[in-house]
Amino acid sequence: MSESEKLLVVKDLATTFATAGGLVPAVGGVSFDLERNETLGIVGESGSGKTVLSRTIMGLQPRANVTVTGSARVNGFEVVGASEKEKRQIWGTEVAMVFQDPMTSLNPVMRIGKQIDEALRVRMGMNRAAARARAIELLELVGIPSPAQRYDAYPGQLSGGMRQRVVIATALACSPKLLMADEPTTGLDVTIQAQILNLLDELKDRLKMSVILVTHDLGVVATRTSRIVVMYAGRIVETGSTREVFYHHRMPYTRALLESSPKVSNHPHTRLATIPGRPPNLLKLAQGCSFAPRCAYATDRCHQERPELQPAAEPGHSFACWNPLPTTRGVAAP
Amino acid sequence: MLRYVTRRLVMLLGIVFVISVGSFYLIHLLPGDPAVVILGTGATPANKAALFKQLGLDKPIYLQYFTWIGNVIRGNMGTSFISQSSVAATIRAALPIDLEIIVLSQLLAFVAAIPMAMRSARKPDGPLDRVLGASSFTLLSVPPFIIIVLLVLFVSIKLGIPHTGPSSYVTFASDPIGNLESLALPAFTLAIGSFVVYYRVLRSDLIATLQEEFITMARSKGISQRRIMWRHAFRPSSVALLGAASVNIGGLLASGFVVQYLLAIPGLGYTLISAINTSDFLLVQGIVLTVSVGVVLINFIFDFVINIVDPRISRE
Repeated sequence: MSESEKLLVVKDLATTFATAGGLVPAVGGVSFDLERNETLGIVGESGSGKTVLSRTIMGLQPRANVTVTGSARVNGFEVVGASEKEKRQIWGTEVAMVFQDPMTSLNPVMRIGKQIDEALRVRMGMNRAAARARAIELLELVGIPSPAQRYDAYPGQLSGGMRQRVVIATALACSPKLLMADEPTTGLDVTIQAQILNLLDELKDRLKMSVILVTHDLGVVATRTSRIVVMYAGRIVETGSTREVFYHHRMPYTRALLESSPKVSNHPHTRLATIPGRPPNLLKLAQGCSFAPRCAYATDRCHQERPELQPAAEPGHSFACWNPLPTTRGVAAP
Repeated sequence: MLRYVTRRLVMLLGIVFVISVGSFYLIHLLPGDPAVVILGTGATPANKAALFKQLGLDKPIYLQYFTWIGNVIRGNMGTSFISQSSVAATIRAALPIDLEIIVLSQLLAFVAAIPMAMRSARKPDGPLDRVLGASSFTLLSVPPFIIIVLLVLFVSIKLGIPHTGPSSYVTFASDPIGNLESLALPAFTLAIGSFVVYYRVLRSDLIATLQEEFITMARSKGISQRRIMWRHAFRPSSVALLGAASVNIGGLLASGFVVQYLLAIPGLGYTLISAINTSDFLLVQGIVLTVSVGVVLINFIFDFVINIVDPRISRE
């Protein structure tokens, strides 16, 4: 497939915040792309730049004290450098976002139905009655019981899971081709988490969308994505097909991340592995590999020179590491 | 919601009762003897006793209260011994002037404060925000009695606009334009103080609201900045504004008194000050009662409006 047919092409995308303490390179030069009807997972610890990256791709970063360079093309539309007015043309219709915390992402003093049909009225030019009917349809689509009554509810009258369904319905209102889900389940109970993720999966197939699933939880992306991007300190440290990243990862950080998620096969009371140290301070990034200070395999070179992404055995799989883990290809999966 | 309103209404009745007892008792706290005021200093004890009986002052005080409150509810606040006119009629004539000044001043204040706060909040610490912030702070520090004097100096004397100077009040019925002219300066003076408060309260709440995630979400729908400001940011930011307005309007009655007195506009304030000067106790009592009940009512109405604006409040 040629580049122009891809739904999303991101090249050297960098987001830098100007703060009182200096420049913070929250996203430091990221490149990847996304096919139509594909689900891509972006994983990393808190502070790895996942959220900033997903907002920058949409052009939804804060408007003050931010510099964005590189390129992000959503269905052919160049987001970087576009004015707010130009970006409004793709927001909702080409790309929409499911926000992290349903407790804060809905307007507390606006009826939920009004929040859903706002985009329909403003962007699609529907009249009041048509927008209302469509909003109720959307509420039904995301599995809200008695949607016609819920239309008039305020967010405070709904549970967290229901609110997240409303957020999804709002994002789907103008049938976007790309749905960005930024940790869509972190604010929810475990049982509700699975419901919401299954709903997103189902909607993706039904509405023929592409989905970018941003999360810190590898368990979430394991079965739902075809490819994974692993981020650390604002950069991609490993990327490849989900299977490849899970079973044949080469970057020590990816392994550390995998080892720190709980597994069903663990014996009861197994102590969960943690990654020693803390994510780096983006204000004082060392010149070498950002993960080196926490890495068991780090050498002098790791501290001095930053590794670039290099291809691994399988096409599409690449990693940024001077001392990669030995390849496990041909070895039985763990 | 209904339970909230009922609870508030019961509270309102309680407060009004306390106010009525207070203003009834006010007369008894004031120095001076009604007999002396009415009969003069040379009255005999027999005349005094007859007068007390006639006025019901020989009965126990709680019975006097019930007789009085019964009359007040029926719209009878007594007849002034000084002017021999009905207190209720005097208040009915003066009150609309106060209401007109307050309504005009609040309209001016809101119409100026809301768009300016919206502009400021969009770019906090931008040039416009700085200019508005500094000038509003300067205005806040100038008391109304200075502003009104300066306004009279420029508008009435230098520009010579009729009906704006002292003692030039005309009624609305006789000359609507002249009436607006004659109340323009007091309304403007009171509007300045309100404007500064409303502008500052709304600006800071808007800035806080604009940081909220639901604003980013509204942005992500691809709707205009204007719509985000008015439909998403304004309503959740206006609770403190309404709270400030509810307190402020009560205070306006008091600062309105000063302005009325300086321009000799025969509203409640001017009437009250004259009544105090002539020891017209019944009129003082009537005005105090009217103003206090008015303030309580205004607060009640604003509470109700705040609940509609932010439904989270009555749900908690």
